[in-house]
Amino acid sequence: MAPSGAPALECRDVSVSYGPVAALSGVSLRLAPGLIHAVCGQNGAGKTTFARVASGLVRPNRGALFISGQEVATGNVARARAAGVELVHQSFALPPSFTVAEAMEFGAEKGTPIYSRRGLEARWKQHLENLGVRVRLRDRIRDLAVEQQQGVEIARALVAEASVLILDEPTAVLSPTGVEMLFDRLRNLKAGGVTILLILHKIREVLGVADTVTVLRGGKLVEGPLPAGDTTPQRLAHAIVGSAAEQALSGADEAALTGAEGRDLGASVEPVASVPATPAGPVALEIAGASTRADPEGPALADIDLAVGRSEIVGVAGVEGNGQRTLVRMLANLADLQSGRIALAGTDVTRGALAARRGAGLRIIPFERNTEGLSLASSLWENWSARQLLFGPLLKLISPAAWRRDCDLSLKQWDVRYATTTQPAGSLSGGNAQKLILAREVDADASLIIAAQPTRGLDVGATAFVWKSLRAARERGCGVLLISSDLDELFDISDRLIVMLSGRIVAEFRPPYSLSAVGAAMTGAR
Amino acid sequence: MDEFIIATLRYGTPLVYVTLAGVLAQRAGIWNLGLEGLMIVGCCASVLGLVQTGSLLFGLGLAVVLCVLGSILLWFVVEKLRANPIIAGLGLTGLGLGGTDLAVQAIYGSQASVTAPEGLPRLGAIFGPAVGPYGVLSILVVLMPFVVIGLWILLRRTRFGLQLAAAGEHPFAARSVGVSPSRMRLVALSLGGVLCALGGAELALGSLQIFAYGMTAGRGFMGFSAVIFGGGHPIGSSFAALFFSVVGAIGIRAQLMFGDRVPHDLLLALPYVATVAGVWISGRLRGGARAAAVSGELRDY
Repeated sequence: MAPSGAPALECRDVSVSYGPVAALSGVSLRLAPGLIHAVCGQNGAGKTTFARVASGLVRPNRGALFISGQEVATGNVARARAAGVELVHQSFALPPSFTVAEAMEFGAEKGTPIYSRRGLEARWKQHLENLGVRVRLRDRIRDLAVEQQQGVEIARALVAEASVLILDEPTAVLSPTGVEMLFDRLRNLKAGGVTILLILHKIREVLGVADTVTVLRGGKLVEGPLPAGDTTPQRLAHAIVGSAAEQALSGADEAALTGAEGRDLGASVEPVASVPATPAGPVALEIAGASTRADPEGPALADIDLAVGRSEIVGVAGVEGNGQRTLVRMLANLADLQSGRIALAGTDVTRGALAARRGAGLRIIPFERNTEGLSLASSLWENWSARQLLFGPLLKLISPAAWRRDCDLSLKQWDVRYATTTQPAGSLSGGNAQKLILAREVDADASLIIAAQPTRGLDVGATAFVWKSLRAARERGCGVLLISSDLDELFDISDRLIVMLSGRIVAEFRPPYSLSAVGAAMTGAR
Repeated sequence: MDEFIIATLRYGTPLVYVTLAGVLAQRAGIWNLGLEGLMIVGCCASVLGLVQTGSLLFGLGLAVVLCVLGSILLWFVVEKLRANPIIAGLGLTGLGLGGTDLAVQAIYGSQASVTAPEGLPRLGAIFGPAVGPYGVLSILVVLMPFVVIGLWILLRRTRFGLQLAAAGEHPFAARSVGVSPSRMRLVALSLGGVLCALGGAELALGSLQIFAYGMTAGRGFMGFSAVIFGGGHPIGSSFAALFFSVVGAIGIRAQLMFGDRVPHDLLLALPYVATVAGVWISGRLRGGARAAAVSGELRDY
């Protein structure tokens, strides 16, 4: 791994702070040209900030940036792009109303001053074909599947002669086959001489594709860049998590986080077999033949049959946008149910309003923590007590002081870190905000908890806490419907797994799970 | 029929100019409710500049400068002071309506209106009698379709237009390719200021040659509605504006035909009723309220 000549990308003593929070402190890093480099770390380790500094989106408080040996002014995207650095974002950054051709053009450099629609399509057709991105140039970005969108985003990043391509968490939204396709694409680019910097947090993927590995923790450089061949998943996991947080992880959780080999064994670490498969008594949730109209947030559901038993965690796998959101909206009485029946803990709630459903024990941890789950501008106690407002007469007097006290007690039990219950919910970190939602939703009266992406964006410690809470709810006799795009998480925690594709349930699995079978069902490849 | 077309164009031309200013702002991600204020500044400045110096060009230049300054003020308040664009736009409208009234009173005392000695060049004076009854229309009427086409090319057929749309729809995407959304908005609002000045000048000097307080009578808001009705597309929105003016012309016709049998006010209200109906229809067609809600929130993370 002898670096030939100048490094493709070099950072010297880069520090970034957002207010009092140091996102990066004193990071110096040299990345050799022509290789695939991985930067890994937990959430909040500074990976994304690092990527944004390197691409000029964020101006560091201190430090210098060199691209191919030349110093480049920091905090200037145009300069960084001119020097050949392009960034592909975690959540895609293309205007949804643009056509594919327009999305290529708007960041391009040369070309005719006035284009025609056809000229534009002719100009970019070859470019997309060369990269193996198969889309119609007339399609709008918002109508593309996530894999295609990512392909377009990568093609967008390569419209100019990029020498360094940075991808921020590119695998988060992809199915297993999509990940393989992405990695093949990256290897091709590498063969074409492009230096690639991957921001990743899944160790299995890192070791599968990267030539060198760099680990960030708490905004500091911990390790690297060292050749990927010289490290092991365990060593990497320890570097990422650090020694203090490590003890909080159970064996199974660690296996899920590292994506360790022999995952089929990983699932059996939990005593799944000791839980009765179909317990007696009313099941927590029963959906029979449910179909909905098309929903603004996803495809219509078609003929969904699903039962979640008491003391059972049912995982819902599937590429995003295949009806998972509609499923949750249907259960929350937000989507138009056309036919079918829904029963909660034996009570028919097909026509029931949300209040009735919550009364029957439905609890929801929604997809979007910051928009659906919490009112960020409202205080902690107001968010926490929101569920009480559904019950009782409309004009019932409330006692804020009593609720603040109850909230304080509850949040302490859930180990939320906060100063006062009157601070706005927006001031909490992601993990603490999720705990606040858990404190509200996971109570003794719950009979069915819907957890939609409950660990997205959380660090290892908070993730383990969420998993522990869901398992504890199961032990109490609660049914859990866990929707996640993280297969490691689903494999680790689910007693049963269903796969959704285009608004239908297309497959059901029981442990031990096979990655290839689930992946095939997710993409409809069977 | 000629009369009807002339009435439509007289009513519609100022509206189209101000609508195009709204289209520019909307593409850049700002719902500009200051159009009404900018337009009346355009009316007032062009007339006052002309009356005070006797030079039509000076009047037009003054209108353009003041409208651009007003737009820059809006940009500064929205972009630098982080004010809500809707509120800031309404503030600008208030400033325009009040400011022009104040200017007239300060210069001419308590005079209700200011009459200009001449108007914009008429077609009849330029092309001779060949244009027939259309000779009464001003040069800005003829210019209008070219401005519409030009703006369509700028917005939909150049990279600048794409970058402007990206700045409005997804500022983060614009920043990621090295485009400053803030600068894009400044450009869009300033260009819009020029268009508002032209629209105001056409309204005041095109056929009437007069400035009266509040003479825009809600045309800025009507232009704003045309932007919504036309989906923010330069050509679609211009047609929406022309549709409103057709209804206005029908109202004028109807007054002549029915005389006192139908209340005047009712007929004068027709274009406004059409505006409300148009916004409602466009809402039904493409979820207008939701589209507006999405555009109102500028995602930049």
